[in-house]
Amino acid sequence: MIATRLLPLADELRAVVGTDGVLTAHSDLLVYECDGFVIEKNCPDIAVFPRTTEHVQAIVRLANEYDVPFLPRGAGTSLAGGCLPVGGGVMIVLVRMKQILEINLRDRYAVVEPGVVNVWLTQALKGTGYHYAPDPSSQGACTIGGNVATNSGGPHTLKYGVTVNHVLGVEAVMADGSIVEFGGPAEDPAGLDLTGLLVGSEGTLAVVTKAWVRLTRDPQGWRTMLGIFESVADATNAISAIIGAGIVPAALEMMDQGILVAVEAAFHFGFPLDAQAILLIEVDGLEAGLDRQRDRIIALCKENHAREVRLAASAAERQLLWKCRKQAFGAVGRLSPSYCTQDGVVPRTKLPHILARITEIGQKHGIRIVNVFHAGDGNIHPILLFDERDREQIARVLAASGEILDECIACGGSVTGEHGIGVEKIEFMHKLFTPADLDVMGRVRTAFNPHGRLSPAKMLPTAGACGLEQKHPGRRAAL
Amino acid sequence: MTVATTPLPLSETFAPPSPSELAELVAEGCRTGMAMYPMGGGTSISNGLVPKRSGWGVSLANLKRTIDYPARDMTITVEAGVTMAALADQLAREGQRLPVDAPQAADATLGGVIATATSGPRRYGCGTIRDYVIGITAIDGRGTLFHGGGRVVKNVAGYDFCKLLTGSRGSLGVIAQVTLKLRPLVETTALVACELTDFDQAETLLAALVRSKTTPAAIELLAGAAWADDPVLGPTSAATKARLVVGLEGTAAEIDWMTSTLAGEWRELGVQKSHTINGAAADRLWSRLVEFPAAGEPPLAIKASVLPSAVTRFVVTALELAPGCSVQSHAGSGIVLVRVGEFTAADALRLLIAGLQPAAVKAGGSASVLSCPAGTELTHQAVWGPVRPEAAVMRAVKQQLDPAGLLNPGLASFDLR
Repeated sequence: MIATRLLPLADELRAVVGTDGVLTAHSDLLVYECDGFVIEKNCPDIAVFPRTTEHVQAIVRLANEYDVPFLPRGAGTSLAGGCLPVGGGVMIVLVRMKQILEINLRDRYAVVEPGVVNVWLTQALKGTGYHYAPDPSSQGACTIGGNVATNSGGPHTLKYGVTVNHVLGVEAVMADGSIVEFGGPAEDPAGLDLTGLLVGSEGTLAVVTKAWVRLTRDPQGWRTMLGIFESVADATNAISAIIGAGIVPAALEMMDQGILVAVEAAFHFGFPLDAQAILLIEVDGLEAGLDRQRDRIIALCKENHAREVRLAASAAERQLLWKCRKQAFGAVGRLSPSYCTQDGVVPRTKLPHILARITEIGQKHGIRIVNVFHAGDGNIHPILLFDERDREQIARVLAASGEILDECIACGGSVTGEHGIGVEKIEFMHKLFTPADLDVMGRVRTAFNPHGRLSPAKMLPTAGACGLEQKHPGRRAAL
Repeated sequence: MTVATTPLPLSETFAPPSPSELAELVAEGCRTGMAMYPMGGGTSISNGLVPKRSGWGVSLANLKRTIDYPARDMTITVEAGVTMAALADQLAREGQRLPVDAPQAADATLGGVIATATSGPRRYGCGTIRDYVIGITAIDGRGTLFHGGGRVVKNVAGYDFCKLLTGSRGSLGVIAQVTLKLRPLVETTALVACELTDFDQAETLLAALVRSKTTPAAIELLAGAAWADDPVLGPTSAATKARLVVGLEGTAAEIDWMTSTLAGEWRELGVQKSHTINGAAADRLWSRLVEFPAAGEPPLAIKASVLPSAVTRFVVTALELAPGCSVQSHAGSGIVLVRVGEFTAADALRLLIAGLQPAAVKAGGSASVLSCPAGTELTHQAVWGPVRPEAAVMRAVKQQLDPAGLLNPGLASFDLR
């Protein structure tokens, strides 16, 4: 039930975006109580669906006038609670701003609204010889606005870079409602690289309403390989060997046996179910150089005791392999009623160590963990399997997650490679950063978001993360 | 260090031997309200803006240690005062490189390259320094030592200070230490060059390169006196208006395929004669392409960033506005460098304010002064062009990190104090 003092705000928002653009009923708002991080949940008081930048501006001004928190949301596929509406308030759902405004092949950029789904852009570019390089596994659902907020990665970012390497500029509605453009289609704009700062700021600095993104030439060819290993250690050693040899594959992904079984049951690719780990390795570029890279990779896999290295025989087989990889998370439903995908990073040579530690930590806490991840970047995604109806299991999952992330830090790594801090990892920030670092981050936030109404209690522990300490499942009351 | 020609009004220069002593120095400057001017190799300090406030030079000359080089992870952590040449030598011993071009690499420091976002021809194929900085430590204008990023190649924890400080021109903090991600050295390179008899043909070829089957590392459009007599490029005829040079990097097999493919693509577009430059000649030409903005004495070098499709139009305008100038464009990226030989301060102001800057805005971008001989003083508008609305947000950030305005006061594009 919406608070009485917010009823006039809802009316004013309806006047801005129309009656079909405002939700206030609790049953409607349940959809917006969380993103892919399901452990913390909270409904916004109002969800509003702007169609234009001017709508966003009016919404932000009204939220300020009524002194309520507000935050942007794309498709809600983020995994760290970045669009959890802490303290309720107004959720600005950007999915109706979904136009691809311009595709300019001569100058190699596109202009998109934030609600454009990642894969739509690549589909729109089909046949042009260009594509949009960042390809998160959720690309069929996630929005480019959300990708900008979280600086999303994806399998092919190993060679091509993450979202920030492909964003030339943004238009943003600032926390005070002003509309500002940073950067644009021309490179090297004067002054500070605030585009680079805004990408990955998890919606805490401004609401991005438009993005200029760089388009990337399609590679002439690919060689896609499947390395099959008898042990996880052999597979991770092969990864270190490939990177250490100075080869930069387009993608280098690992799946362990646990996930392989689920993926095979879902997609029937023909994965060998007795293998302990497989590597999905792709090199791309000029045909003139591909066979040699392929041969070197096969040799390095063999040196590290690969049982077999298969080659994707056709474009269709390559597509199927990538489908298996990108939809692996969906297949996890076959293994367990709930799962928690972690996101950590270690130096690439530490992969054998961290994988062994993940196994130990899972055993210690009695939590089954399967692995599918961006091995070439050292970006691990252990998937912790549990049943969210069991509070005791939740506690063990949280403890195991924490230990894995602490181990990543001990290895010289990070607690997030692409999912973000959100609310999930706030408590790790003081382990990664000094009080001085966090103070400067707080100052940067103050420069953009002086009243803290824009997406409060995210990313920085100093931003008043109270009320988030209890780690319990939101659906507990329903059982 | 070649800081002899610095226009900075320095009362004293200090070169602290560690990041913590650097932080102490900056904190001391803060306590006494001292303006501070961070200095690397001094190669980019002179750009026509002469600060009014006397202050300390804060030199990074004694901060050039390697902190950690786990070569098999393809990352390195170094202090910011290391020169680009020393860094390149160290990386080459492990078969690696930072593929970012900087002129005067023997003097230019990594910290300076980051602070000025210096780039060169390879930016088309390899990206710019912002794509390689994955961790950074700096001292802000309150004397606080802070860091962002980390030592791993993928990391989204916290605000990205690597991006915030890249191109900040020392206005937010003194960069002390940096972690970079690295790339393998390439096996070989070659350049393919042709003469252009008119600029319509230039645009035709540039547009075609966007669709080329080859994957250039650099796309360079060259015009003016500086390029007229280069033996590597070959003699020019009276009809030569410009040259197009495409730089290629890769394995020998890839280079062979690309050089012949590109020559074929150009033949179909009416280019009768193109030639491939290999080996030592290629090294010499790459070097010239990198050094162009700093070459000659005294250089007034202007950099415009425009839409790639507007490059030829802008180049023509520049040649008309400044007869006798030389031009190099990283045309694939829309960057145009204009080097002017003889000029007075009044000529330079007119050329910039009434000429190149409006032309750059018309071409979808902006223009600024890269370097200007010491002794010639330009205005803020001439150096940076018109102030854009987002400068207010930049000033708000500056206010938070350097509230007293002590770091490089008045030198950044958005800093109008």
